[in-house]
Amino acid sequence: MPLRNTAEAYGSLARFLHWAIVLLIVPQYFIAEAAEELPKGLERLQLMDWHKSLGMLVLLLTLARIGWKIVNRGLPGPIGNPWQRKAAAAGHGLLYLLVLAQPISGWAMSSAANFPVTLFGWFQFPALVAENHDLQEALEEVHETLFFLLLAVAVVHILAALYHHFVLKDSVLRRMSPFSRP
Amino acid sequence: MALLAALALGPAAPDAAAATAWTVDPARSQLTFHPRLAGGEFAGRFERFDATIRFDPADLAHSSLLVVVDLLGARTGDTDRDTALQGRDFFETARWPRGTFASTGIKSLGNGRFEATGKLTLREVTREVRVQFHFDSTAPAGGAARMVGSANVRRLEFGVGQGDWRGTEWLDDGVRVEFDLALRAAR
Repeated sequence: MPLRNTAEAYGSLARFLHWAIVLLIVPQYFIAEAAEELPKGLERLQLMDWHKSLGMLVLLLTLARIGWKIVNRGLPGPIGNPWQRKAAAAGHGLLYLLVLAQPISGWAMSSAANFPVTLFGWFQFPALVAENHDLQEALEEVHETLFFLLLAVAVVHILAALYHHFVLKDSVLRRMSPFSRP
Repeated sequence: MALLAALALGPAAPDAAAATAWTVDPARSQLTFHPRLAGGEFAGRFERFDATIRFDPADLAHSSLLVVVDLLGARTGDTDRDTALQGRDFFETARWPRGTFASTGIKSLGNGRFEATGKLTLREVTREVRVQFHFDSTAPAGGAARMVGSANVRRLEFGVGQGDWRGTEWLDDGVRVEFDLALRAAR
């Protein structure tokens, strides 16, 4: 599988970034929920630290994915009628937006609560906003709401891919699959 | 009580030979602490403290610093964390509401920098701590000054961090304490 995209399929780097982001996002909900269940203390802080570090990794990988999308010419051609192409472009745009907004809102929420945000303790990110209790509570709502929006759009994304594969029987799912060649 | 005790034990009781006495302008002064948590640093502040400062760069022998911090005024911007700081695992303010620092000696490091050695007391544990600071007279007549400096405090020497917090893997032992004091000569 070539590193770069071809006219028929995504290259290995685009696929790697797509699936790495998926695999990092899925446990995030469960880590946050598990942390919420714990009493306030060190153990809860450790889980939240994992949640925050993984979230920042998602942010960095998403930026890399968008950067690679911009520099990497020869994207696979669009498939489907004009209506479907527009819907796909809008859906993908919304996914990028949500996958970026989710960690950024969490980062801002930590900053508003004056908690440091690091990448597994190797590197500390600067505070996005100044300490502010009301803002922190508002951002907590935003962070949770964004998660459910992201979940909804991701479900549509998965259903669309399955529809292409099983009903339209085209290469849309295969060209981003981590294993198969188109 | 701790305040009275600290004052009674404090060095350089006012006498004819004492260096200039300074009062702190609380609105333009701050005392902050900077713990490292999970590899990241954050800042907290002590909102209330009293400082008795006698300081003359030319008469260090008669200069002294005495700082009494109301630990109930420790704030970090997060209610849960602030509550934890007051509790048994950290300052345990129900038993020990104050922290005190009383200098035992001050020496010059040159270029307006000084080092005070003194006794820091937290949770009834007293240990020697060094404080480095810069002293700058800001008014030509010498009636106002700024004192800016820091100290590295090893929290576990004082038992600040009980239970899970005795470990240093997630919360570093060393906590930098910084101060920026706006002073006015008390005459």
